[in-house]
Amino acid sequence: MKKKNIAFLILCGLFAAMLSACLFDSDDTALSSWLNDQGLPDSYKVQTVTIEDLTPVSAEAYAGKTVFSAYDRALLGAQAGLNHDLVLDIAFRDSTFIDSLSKSDSAAAFVTLFVLNPFYSAKYFPADSLPYEETLDLKVEWKLDVGKGKPKAFVDSIKDIKDSAWREELAEWEADNSADTTYELSIGAKDSLVKIPMPSALVEDLKNAGSATHLQLRLSAPDSKRAYRIYGTGSGLPPFIRVKTFSDTTYKNFTAFRMSEVITYTDTCDGCLLLHGGVLDSIVVEYPTDKVLEALSDFYGDAFPFDEGDGYDVRQAVVLAQITFPRDDSEGINELGLPIQVVVGTFIDSLDTEIRKMEEYRLNRKMIVESGHPNLVFFDGDSLSLQVTYGMRDVINQAKSGRNLKMMVRLGYPMLQSMDSAYVDYAFKDSTTGKTDTSYVFFSHFDYARYDFGTSFSKPATLKLWLATKRGGEE
Amino acid sequence: MKKILGLIVCLVAFTQASMIGLDALGEENVVGGSAAAAGRGYAGGAKTGEAEGLSVTNPARMAFDTKVVFNLNFLLEFYTAERHGDSYFTKNLAMPSFNLSFPMGDFGAFGVSLWQHYSSVIREEISDSASAAEAKIEYNGSVYEIVPTYAVRLPYLRNISLGAAMHVVMGSMKRSLTLGPNKDAVAEEDVWATNNKDITDYVDGSWEIEHHPGYYTGSIQYRGRQSSFYFSYTTGYTLLNELEYNFRFSEVDTLVPSKIDRRIEVPAMFATGVNYRLAKRHNVMMDLQWRVWDEDVENIGHSYDMRSVTKTQDDFVASIGYQRDGSGLYYDPFWDRITYRAGAWFKNWYIEDVYEIGGSVGANFPLGRKGIAVDLALQGGKRISESKGNWEEVFLGVRLGLMGIGSWGQSRR
Repeated sequence: MKKKNIAFLILCGLFAAMLSACLFDSDDTALSSWLNDQGLPDSYKVQTVTIEDLTPVSAEAYAGKTVFSAYDRALLGAQAGLNHDLVLDIAFRDSTFIDSLSKSDSAAAFVTLFVLNPFYSAKYFPADSLPYEETLDLKVEWKLDVGKGKPKAFVDSIKDIKDSAWREELAEWEADNSADTTYELSIGAKDSLVKIPMPSALVEDLKNAGSATHLQLRLSAPDSKRAYRIYGTGSGLPPFIRVKTFSDTTYKNFTAFRMSEVITYTDTCDGCLLLHGGVLDSIVVEYPTDKVLEALSDFYGDAFPFDEGDGYDVRQAVVLAQITFPRDDSEGINELGLPIQVVVGTFIDSLDTEIRKMEEYRLNRKMIVESGHPNLVFFDGDSLSLQVTYGMRDVINQAKSGRNLKMMVRLGYPMLQSMDSAYVDYAFKDSTTGKTDTSYVFFSHFDYARYDFGTSFSKPATLKLWLATKRGGEE
Repeated sequence: MKKILGLIVCLVAFTQASMIGLDALGEENVVGGSAAAAGRGYAGGAKTGEAEGLSVTNPARMAFDTKVVFNLNFLLEFYTAERHGDSYFTKNLAMPSFNLSFPMGDFGAFGVSLWQHYSSVIREEISDSASAAEAKIEYNGSVYEIVPTYAVRLPYLRNISLGAAMHVVMGSMKRSLTLGPNKDAVAEEDVWATNNKDITDYVDGSWEIEHHPGYYTGSIQYRGRQSSFYFSYTTGYTLLNELEYNFRFSEVDTLVPSKIDRRIEVPAMFATGVNYRLAKRHNVMMDLQWRVWDEDVENIGHSYDMRSVTKTQDDFVASIGYQRDGSGLYYDPFWDRITYRAGAWFKNWYIEDVYEIGGSVGANFPLGRKGIAVDLALQGGKRISESKGNWEEVFLGVRLGLMGIGSWGQSRR
């Protein structure tokens, strides 16, 4: 016999054996029964534990960022306790024009801002709000620098300043000069630009500018009725300053190559715990866990915290944790009239470092359809439910360290699908018009709202845990 | 190389061992799981020849070899586990060992073996919506040993050889039980939170010997004209299994594990065997190896109602075998060049009230003029269990050994 034949026979044998093995099968009850004999279940039992009357040990509000890049869009004015100032950074060299400017008897300058049309014309923007009309008290401040050395080198050196470095300096802004002015603002549905005349003092300063100019212009309207939204420098419609002479009617537009929005807090509310939308304000709340551990101890009949071995507790896992607070919208101010989602993160341990992990949001679809998402403010009802699953997992897992449940909340985007359990953007056909439309979960613009969490984080909260355990002795 | 890697990947994917004692040490691959030894019922530790190769229980035998031997052993096993009227069929594909032995003439012989000494490997799944059963059980545990071996014949008493082996232990252990939710105890309005949330009771860790790099085997072999025999002694040792227990939702969503070590006192082992040559090329052989367990085996346990220990009993393997050696002459008929084997064994497992009886037939087919041979063994038997939790198993196994024989370093005679 040839060796090839033998190899072939052996292979055939093996394959036949494998094939026959696949033909045999056993039913599922046998494996369940085997698992049971090993002391193992074939599914885990979900159990719930509710802990009432949790009061925080601390709750503190933190101001968010104060200087934002105004690349895409920006705000000017006062809204819900915040002032939004604009700082335009402009650099140019045009000695011919500046010469003619300084020779002319009369000259003027305007700053042109383009109103953020997608916001004001959005379906979800309350249409009856427009037109906006008010006499705006504007404060104009500026820093004018003509530099030394060659004009080109000077202008280039300004562009070399990193955006982040420039923004950092704005926190300590000291103007060279300033002037107050008023402006009759009117934004109708179709108005798309705001043309603000600049004070003559600025024009005079510009006349004396040399062949190269660095102008930083700050506009603030602290007494305005509201903040107005405009396009940023990176959009197709960047803000610019137009300087013109009346003697020979020449003019020049100098576009801001970058811009920042500077926030100042003017909100005063004693005993409030304030969050502002859109500016990354946050509140950090800490709940003690002794009540939780006590409840778990009662529930399981085991010692909590677990302190055998290295003390990490893996006897059970939190499938989901939801904490419910009372809610009072009365101190809140919002612009759009839409509910706003509260975003939550918890502080957990990661390799001995405390990190903040944003929580997942699991949908209670049945309830959403009936009464809406439970994590909304400016909404019907008087309670707020937030999911803190990762946080509770960590707290129980490492209870021996005596950690608190530490969570952070922040105002998210305005919610459009407040009673829709889909929670994804989807296309649908309008039953009356027959047109295809899109249902979005969130409005893509922030509501620069203000919300007081004083009620929520001072009164007792209720924590509900969905648990899985690997303890034995169930039956 | 690609083909070999592919084969190994396949084997790893299909690897599965007996369902007995998974939470303890798992199944022991006796005498290195060699296909040749399995063909004669695990007997033949004292059988000498020119290319018998390495034996992990009798390292001294290798001194009588004259040829370099490399062999790779595979096991394909089908078995049905049964208890209280339920039966579960599954299969097992493993590579229990590969061995290299290198005779160096008067300088003795050197060899090395990679041996999967214990394996606890299964991967099974159930999903039954009627009984709300949704579980996936996976064990993947191996105690591997790298066994460097040296054997030498005594200078004057040339019929006697001494051998020693060091067993360097390594390996890993993993147990993973993924469960679906059972919502019976949850109020209707709370069910939403549990949908599609699988959770895994996960344990993994590594194997080593506590305080030592390895354990040792020493043996002495006598080769006579008619009868040959050996005695071997293997030291006892403490296996250390450092485990991390977790309860996790996914690989990236876990808790901080709880670390628990388990220690298993494996007792010393005594082994002996005799080979008697009945007539030209006809041999009968008997082997015995036993260990006296003092301590129970600590289980992985720590979950649900799992037992924390596995009770032990004195374990032994008693085997009897027959072998008709094949002719070494290439010009003889092929059937005459085949080595034929048969054997039977009785094995007391280390687990209390678990016994195994089995029988086997085997053959060694030389391929080509020289250099390559294939060992094939067919085994069948029953593992009888009266212990709690361990089901009885009826098994049918095919063992395949690929063998390369060379004459490196041998001078022409």
